Amino acid sequence: MSYQHAQDNWFSAILIGLIALAVLVNIWRARRGKELYIRRIPGLDAIDEAIGRSTELGRPVTMIPGMTDFGVVAVQALTIFKYITKQIARFATPMRLLSGNPTVFAVAQEAIYDAYNEAGRPDLYDADSIRFLSDRQFAFASGVAGLIQRERVAASFMFGEFFAESLIFAETGNMVGAIQIAGTVSFTQVPFFVAACDYTIIGEEFYATSAYLSREPVLLGSLVGQDIAKLLFALTTIGGVIAASIAGTDAPIIKLLGQPGGWDAFWSSVLKGGGQ
Amino acid sequence: MHMLTNLMAQQTIWRLPEESRILFATLIVLGAFVLVLGLVPVLQTLPPRGRRAIIVTVTFLAGLFFAAEFFLPVDWTAVFPKDDPKRNFLTPAIQPAQNVLQIIGALALGLGTFGLVRLHLRNAVQRRPQWGYSIVLLVSFVVMAIFSVLNTLAEKGIVARDPLLQRGFSILFDYTLLQLDAAMFSLVAFYIFSAAYRAFRIRSVEASILMFTAMLVMIGVVPLGAYISPALPAIANWVLAYLNAPAQRAIEFGVGIGGLAMAIRLWLSLERGVT
Amino acid sequence: MQARTQSVWQRMLSIDRRWLYLILFVNIMTFLLAPIRMPASISPPVQKFYDEIEKLQPGDMVMISSNWSASTLAENQPQLEALITHLMRKQARFTIISIEAQSRDISYRLAERITKEKGYQYGEQWVHFGFVPNLVVAIKGMVNDLPNTIKQDVRGKEISKIPALQGVKSLSDYKIVIDVTPSGTVPAWISYSPKNLTILYCPTSVMAAEAYTYLDSGQIKGMITGAKGAQEYEQLLGIRGLGAPFANTISFSHLLIIFFILLGNFAMLMNRLQAR
Repeated sequence: MSYQHAQDNWFSAILIGLIALAVLVNIWRARRGKELYIRRIPGLDAIDEAIGRSTELGRPVTMIPGMTDFGVVAVQALTIFKYITKQIARFATPMRLLSGNPTVFAVAQEAIYDAYNEAGRPDLYDADSIRFLSDRQFAFASGVAGLIQRERVAASFMFGEFFAESLIFAETGNMVGAIQIAGTVSFTQVPFFVAACDYTIIGEEFYATSAYLSREPVLLGSLVGQDIAKLLFALTTIGGVIAASIAGTDAPIIKLLGQPGGWDAFWSSVLKGGGQ
Repeated sequence: MHMLTNLMAQQTIWRLPEESRILFATLIVLGAFVLVLGLVPVLQTLPPRGRRAIIVTVTFLAGLFFAAEFFLPVDWTAVFPKDDPKRNFLTPAIQPAQNVLQIIGALALGLGTFGLVRLHLRNAVQRRPQWGYSIVLLVSFVVMAIFSVLNTLAEKGIVARDPLLQRGFSILFDYTLLQLDAAMFSLVAFYIFSAAYRAFRIRSVEASILMFTAMLVMIGVVPLGAYISPALPAIANWVLAYLNAPAQRAIEFGVGIGGLAMAIRLWLSLERGVT
Repeated sequence: MQARTQSVWQRMLSIDRRWLYLILFVNIMTFLLAPIRMPASISPPVQKFYDEIEKLQPGDMVMISSNWSASTLAENQPQLEALITHLMRKQARFTIISIEAQSRDISYRLAERITKEKGYQYGEQWVHFGFVPNLVVAIKGMVNDLPNTIKQDVRGKEISKIPALQGVKSLSDYKIVIDVTPSGTVPAWISYSPKNLTILYCPTSVMAAEAYTYLDSGQIKGMITGAKGAQEYEQLLGIRGLGAPFANTISFSHLLIIFFILLGNFAMLMNRLQAR
């Protein structure tokens, strides 16, 4: 507890450094031209299908980053929405981006404008299609639900951080017959999305989305680095279990690795010969 | 560097007499404003490469500040005996930096609200489809804002506490807003029911296992489960503690590592998605 | 050409959702009003929660972080009411802080009502710190210097002049922090609060699943989950609150949902058999 600085738990700080190293090394490898494999994610393959359906029906697409505060999750969500917008621009399908956070709304305006520009269709950009509804959870939920019902959207993309309002969006979309693809890091909301959406992207697949869609070497390399880091965590866990089973949870080496401030216990008990 | 951070830590400006403090604060805010306004045309005249170089540098330095503050050791009393052993020389600047981020967030709220009001005003004036809803929104917005601001001023004693103001605020907040909030959340219960009825179908072995486990937990965590059999709560607690927790932990590891990787890419400007 | 009539199984599978909502509404109203009260089986997390509060001595400081709004009133209100009752029984001093604007008013009014009933004086035994916009900034500030971080209580009085807070310099002077919340704010308390502080958690039911990892690792020492957890806690305290009637209603709603899930699967099976 009280992890305000790396000195509070050097083991954790070293782990962070190792993860960063794994990511950076693999980005470097990918930039040097190494072929990297990424498995299929069905939900992302369905994006084009959903957009096509909207275009045929002549009904809009909604993109909802939820109540996400501006940060890593919001940037990832906007990256995905930028990709979707470029696809939408090819067919001139109407779209709505509904945000519950004003900072995300401000950045989304720029991101979507860039997307239309990059797709060669700046004329299609409509500032009113990107809306900040409310930063109050259920005011936002009722605004989104109302819009989905009134405009009878044909496809709904929900990527970001969601809370209790997730099921309200998903079920309302289901009522109007929209095809729905959701991706979130809020795993308490994953069951609701799984029950009500056509495709759900869970956990770190959300962070893999930009790599999957763009196939950029940097992003693919980062993904491989993440997988190596996860393997490292798994090996550390197994090693820790074995070590704790043999040495006991009170052994200094276990305290060094496993507890906040364990470094102090290690120094005082082992190096100063204090026993325990 | 120590003098600078000590100055920041003591927040010396706030110890000045009030008139000087207000003058200094005004000058600082105006100066920051002029700097930002001056930077915008400079950035626009630069070629895209130059602009990108500035953005990458500023992003890197901003991230470096937080990373350095976290990783630098805190206990420097061996070198600087009078130092606080719980912080390094960057720690005093963290609070002002967080405050700046909050202020930027507040500005963004103003921007978002402006966009919302502008859209609905235009809908109402141009009689676009469903303009009636826009009128409702604008009237509600203005009325709630007036009563909320006056209520807050009355709480601080700046305006008199009028019974009409109290009654109006109570009707809007206690009897309308809170009840609408509760009603919207209650929708979730009904939606869960229809979603569960529609989606929980046995289509495979895994789906069956999932469904029956879910049912055991659903009935085990409520008093009815204990009434039916004492084994049901025990099974439910076991599933939550020994099946659910490891799975949650595994997903959390993945999400945490993914978030860290994304943060590194943003910090080093390797992520070209939104930027 | 004759139109094909739907079989009873097909009609059951495609039942209008409004009938489901009506059935659920009738179920909830019936069991909310019916005088059926079943005792709860005390779960280990609630027992641990109770035991941690029982360890308090008269005059010990407790921080309550109350971040819920009217939407989660049914789950968080019984928790907070029972919690304040227990703290008063142990003659502990407590402070309440809110990062949700609505919660500031709701928790303040609730605490005022309950403490008045039991003779606890505001300012002498309990204080409300009001609304803080950023929890992480507030916790980091309170760890170092609480009076200068909070500055004023909800009534506008200076923290340093309030009798209940005499001698309180930082969060380290507290024994327990209890997070009563519908959102995932407990990781912030776990990460940034001092090592000696015990953390207890009162989430809504949907957030409880992700808290079991922290419970397992000992980072939180006890947990009350939603209305059902509140019922168990009330039972341990020997008081009658809102937890019991709400938990009983939830019991029968769960039973209804399970029945309809089984019915839906049965209808699907019969429909398939009929189709053959």
